[in-house]
Amino acid sequence: MNRKFYNSKQYSNNINMKAKLGLLILGVGMAFTLSCTKYPAETDRLLEDLAVITQYDTKVDFNTYKTYSITSYIMKVTDKDTIPITDQTAVAVLAEIDKNMQARGFVKSASAVKPDLGIEVFYFENTTVYTYYYDYWGYYPYGGYYYPYYPVYYASYTTGLASIQLMDLKNVDPVKQLIYCRWNAGIRGLLTGTHTTSDITARVDQAFIQTPQLQTTP
Amino acid sequence: MKKILSVITVFVLMTGLVQSQDKPASSMGYTPKSYYTISWNTTFTIGDFNKWVGNASPAGFDIGGRYFIHNGLAVGFNISWQRVSENYSQQTYTIPDKGIAINAENCRFTWMVPFQAVIAYHFIPDKLISPYISLGIGGDYMEHHLMIQEYDIYKTVWDFSLTPEIGALVRFGSYSNWGALIAFNYKWTTNQIALYETTSKNLQMLNLKVGIVMMIR
Repeated sequence: MNRKFYNSKQYSNNINMKAKLGLLILGVGMAFTLSCTKYPAETDRLLEDLAVITQYDTKVDFNTYKTYSITSYIMKVTDKDTIPITDQTAVAVLAEIDKNMQARGFVKSASAVKPDLGIEVFYFENTTVYTYYYDYWGYYPYGGYYYPYYPVYYASYTTGLASIQLMDLKNVDPVKQLIYCRWNAGIRGLLTGTHTTSDITARVDQAFIQTPQLQTTP
Repeated sequence: MKKILSVITVFVLMTGLVQSQDKPASSMGYTPKSYYTISWNTTFTIGDFNKWVGNASPAGFDIGGRYFIHNGLAVGFNISWQRVSENYSQQTYTIPDKGIAINAENCRFTWMVPFQAVIAYHFIPDKLISPYISLGIGGDYMEHHLMIQEYDIYKTVWDFSLTPEIGALVRFGSYSNWGALIAFNYKWTTNQIALYETTSKNLQMLNLKVGIVMMIR
């Protein structure tokens, strides 16, 4: 049987080697854990940012629409109910939409005149699925021809979303009972982080900026 | 990670110096049979890749091994993990045919796992400082991510890559089994990024590697 004998110096070197290897393995493990995570840590703060998502109907020529009407409230949709809100932020958001529509050449309809486009704004606080009867009756104070066709909307939205919807009141389909949405702008992330009224109105402006197609010649 | 690597480097450096004092002054060192490296890797994107992520990124880690086959000629491998990332505020992405536009702060990042076979030549392999040149040939697994709020849009791309490198091993004493590694390389890949309007081809980067070496006699 072969035996290997170590003197005290060799034994000490052997221990040192093992200690260094152990430390190396520990260091590698920690470095691996810290440096090799796939996702950067700073992505967390993306959730606190307001994102603006817009979509317009690519088949529509907005130049064929000249007038619009806008509600005087924002419809707040929660799990429990749907209520109109008219607080300071709601008024500022509606005024900003108004300002942008006029800057794009659209003319606000007088209350007695049938508009080409109707604008409604929703704020989805914490709901996943909702049902909504689009109330275009308000746009037709003297034109109740289409009443009581109430198209039903079923939609699913994430929390903290403001949705601006531009409905085509010029081309309502009375047979299918449909009102077409020609432009929709969503401002996401309202329940995360801290957002002032001016932050939100700046995003309303952004929604228009990123939709240059939404304009008409007066 | 910097602290950990610093502690390891200082510890190994000190033990190496103690060992070196035990040897006769006339010792000239030795040529190791093989060596293994662990290094911290900082990536600098260049060319098209720099348009995707402009930041230099220290989030990288590399493990390598070399086996001497003839004099200063060695063959081996390198496996790495690297990530480059950058946050962009309020950028707009569009999908024109669907009429969609998205404006938000977003994070772009690419996560890479390169694996290469390497051939290296050490000019003076038995010396305290052993400079070398090498060429790595292999592939990468890359994921290119575009994150907007909780949305993570990504593509996975495999590629072929070439990495010429210059560097040096610095032994902690003529007979020490430990040393430091410093190396600089240029990497060319066939990888590409195609997310929304961003299109980048033949991704290229420079890498600075600083690490430790364990030599086997």
